[in-house]
Amino acid sequence: MDIVLQLDHVSKVYSNGRGARNIDFSVERGEVVGLLGPNGSGKTTIMKAVCGLSQPTEGTVTVFGSNVVQDREAALAKVGALIEQPALFENLTAWDNLRLAARYYPNVDAARMEKILGLVGLTPYRKEKCGKFSLGMKQRMGLALALLSEPELVILDEPTNGLDIEATVEIREIIIRLAREKGVTFLVASHLAGEIEKMCSKVLVLHEGEMLAFDTREEALRLHPSLEDYFLAKVRDKKGSVVL
Amino acid sequence: MTQFLANLKNEIFKLRKRKKYLIFLILGCLVCVASALRLVVANYISHGAISAPAALGGLTASNLSFILVLFLPLVAILAVCDLFVGEQADRTIRFALVRPVGKGKLFLSKAAAAFVLCAFDLAVLTLVSAITQVALGGGTRGIGAIVLACLLDLIPLLTLILFFCLVNQVVKGPGLVVLLSILLYVVLAAVGTYLPTLGGLLFTGYLRWHNLWLGVPLPFMAMLARVGLLVGYSLIFACGGYLLFDRKEA
Repeated sequence: MDIVLQLDHVSKVYSNGRGARNIDFSVERGEVVGLLGPNGSGKTTIMKAVCGLSQPTEGTVTVFGSNVVQDREAALAKVGALIEQPALFENLTAWDNLRLAARYYPNVDAARMEKILGLVGLTPYRKEKCGKFSLGMKQRMGLALALLSEPELVILDEPTNGLDIEATVEIREIIIRLAREKGVTFLVASHLAGEIEKMCSKVLVLHEGEMLAFDTREEALRLHPSLEDYFLAKVRDKKGSVVL
Repeated sequence: MTQFLANLKNEIFKLRKRKKYLIFLILGCLVCVASALRLVVANYISHGAISAPAALGGLTASNLSFILVLFLPLVAILAVCDLFVGEQADRTIRFALVRPVGKGKLFLSKAAAAFVLCAFDLAVLTLVSAITQVALGGGTRGIGAIVLACLLDLIPLLTLILFFCLVNQVVKGPGLVVLLSILLYVVLAAVGTYLPTLGGLLFTGYLRWHNLWLGVPLPFMAMLARVGLLVGYSLIFACGGYLLFDRKEA
């Protein structure tokens, strides 16, 4: 069992009382884990803690055996991330944005940059400034930046946000292919149960900052016709309602 | 060190791609040339009563006051604001924060990038002033010593940049941080000017300290004490700034 990511009783509570509480799970190599929950359920909070964008108020986040807070460089060396909207320098071209990111990784060269632009379908726009990109193109660019260094763990927060149907399917196929063929581990957040169901091998249900369940997709679908029903059942369980 | 240098290159690249710094530099060059032309015009009006070498001889030295007290602090304020609060406001700070680079290295490389920009501007403006002085007949007297002496001004400039980095961790919003930085700088400069006893203790009082070393042999012991004071200020600003930067949520 090769554990890539471990969250050990992690809590991150903001001053307004929102956030995530007592999150405890681990992710093995090659898994595609989906964080499923409505807006404000704590998905982005967890992802930010995993990427080192925020420090947990309690608990520890370990990535590839290194604590994200204490040893950022080692923990994030093999991690690619796209959190909320892509962080792009809009006054720079797509190529310049990639070049800035490439400087942090010794294994990334111009050929790799070309390849990643091709993978997300942005090769014709490499010399265009990112400020002129549509929402979907920015999302593709964000994905390119996350996958640039050939990371072993990829964290994607609503990766298909703003994409059309065709692009959504393409991104999903990229994720499934990388996980299957190269053993890349994915942590994907979405509020769409259908999206998680189509690409994830495990699902973690979040609601109001609490972790309600963490099961394989097969286990979740064994008793429920879809992940949507599985999610609703878990929420009803929490609220003490009768599950039909 | 590799990650620090990678981020330093990135920060310099980002500053270089912002046209306002080039425009600022061109305006600075024009001011340096205009101050020389002012002396030429004065010479013409006085029908040569003031000889060109006498009028223009101290041009480079006199331009340094404008460069060091007005121009570079303004450039430093804008550059530091762009790299810290500006990136936090548009969330592009996450571009680097999700990469394998420590927050300490990130903080210091941003400060270093602003310093490199200011040092480059200082070099260009000094060169333009020196060329103008020579071209308009002011002679080359003292230029070499001034160029060497102004290298010393890089030390208080670094302290000033670290001070602005600290201010950027305290306030949110690019407009507010620029305003506060300018206000604090003006207040500190005014205190140093009108209260000379305090002036010697404030880092802003050393922005033109090359004047102390012109025409006299370097009094190393006195200089060491001043350098020690500036290093102390720099350490306080860098540590305070880093601690606040580290705690910030992106």
